[in-house]
Amino acid sequence: MDVPREVIMALVLISMIIPALNPLGLPLMVGDMSRAWYRTVDELPEGSVILFDIAFGSGGYPSLGPGTIAAFHQMFEKGHKIIMMATDLEGSMMYPLIMDSVKPEQNYGAVYGEDWVFFGYIAGGQTAMAGILGDIRALVSTDYQGNDIDSLAVMDGVNGADDFDLVASITTSGDIAEGWVYQGYSQYNRPVIGGCLSMMTTSIKPYYDTGQLLGLMDGIKGAADLEFLTKHPGDAIVSSDILSFSQTLVLIFIAVGNIAYWIQKGGNS
Amino acid sequence: MVDFRRDIPLAITFIIGVIAVLDYYTTIPIFINTFTVIKNWGVVLQAFALGLGAVNLLRVHGRRISERRDDWYFSAVLLAMMFIFIIVGLITGQYESGATYNWLYNAIYLPLGSTMYSSLAFYMAYGAYKVLRARTFEAALLFTTAVLVIIGNTPIFPAMFPGFFHIREWIFGPIVGGAYRGIRIGVGIGAVVLGIRTLIGLETGYLGRR
Repeated sequence: MDVPREVIMALVLISMIIPALNPLGLPLMVGDMSRAWYRTVDELPEGSVILFDIAFGSGGYPSLGPGTIAAFHQMFEKGHKIIMMATDLEGSMMYPLIMDSVKPEQNYGAVYGEDWVFFGYIAGGQTAMAGILGDIRALVSTDYQGNDIDSLAVMDGVNGADDFDLVASITTSGDIAEGWVYQGYSQYNRPVIGGCLSMMTTSIKPYYDTGQLLGLMDGIKGAADLEFLTKHPGDAIVSSDILSFSQTLVLIFIAVGNIAYWIQKGGNS
Repeated sequence: MVDFRRDIPLAITFIIGVIAVLDYYTTIPIFINTFTVIKNWGVVLQAFALGLGAVNLLRVHGRRISERRDDWYFSAVLLAMMFIFIIVGLITGQYESGATYNWLYNAIYLPLGSTMYSSLAFYMAYGAYKVLRARTFEAALLFTTAVLVIIGNTPIFPAMFPGFFHIREWIFGPIVGGAYRGIRIGVGIGAVVLGIRTLIGLETGYLGRR
């Protein structure tokens, strides 16, 4: 017995559409890694300076976009100053999408240039990270809008790694996630938190276990946790219903496949 | 005899490599300042590489179109979109991307990119159904681990039975974490050896020759 591929895919699609149209608000257990991310940001004194790397593009947006939005809600709410950059080429296109959802001016009275700045895409991966942490002004002279960074109040006294109270990144790339550990933690001894896709958790979590990452937001589950903790429910909490439905269906498929295999094997023998 | 095409890149690599090492392990200002300049050059060079990539894309797909190879029309769409994005970007935005550019991105590229990634869910579901079968002892181990991780990752199960979350954490911790650290330590030692070989000129693969 073999269920056709089309049937399985159609059932998966249905299992996604039902909770998407009709969110059920299924229970959620907040994981330790997301709780640690939240606590790390929460315990920073008001006005702390955070370096934030938006390192994902359109492919990662459904998984990482909601978590990034929740993260910024928490940071702006706490009155932190955020220096944003992108080590992913598409990060510059994610920035307006995310800011349209966070609305820092309306929601928190934050002002661009005073409370946050965006440098745009900086090529080079780890070289860019090392450059920003080493000497910002040697690498960046203007922000994404073309303003001289020395004219922005948020940049007053911010020159390099020692001036960042926290380094945060959310990325679809293992190299970028590990790069911030190597440059932010190992080279410059800064506290680092990271966000990644669920499928990357196995390779990034060891850095969390050793304390090199103080918090880890893993994929849509981590994003839903953060939305819950920051009390800003959004797409991730809805998506966790979808995840519950579709993954339960996958478990049923696995069970059906195995039962069919053993029945067939029993019949043959 | 001096081979300039080989020796000059090797000398540059050696000098920059030594400065990088001294920057990392010492606090001598001259090395830190010099390496800051080198890092900035690296960023600029990698930005140029993006332009080079665009030119290469134009060459490869231009040839496919001119020779009318299989599926050449996909190449035509790719180049057309590349030029549309470049032209709109240049016209509507000097520093920040303009509304038209954002609309193009949000209406075309964002849904396509998200769809490409999301479609994986369907193939993974089918793959799990086809492959995860407890045929042998080893397959049964893989099957059990996979099922426990899926259950631990499905939000509703740990919320109802927290034990599943802790089982997943245990699999990710001592088992996966231990194995991954072993791999990373191996990779790290390999990288140190490769770095030393590159610094002293024994590794020349990056020059495009053996």
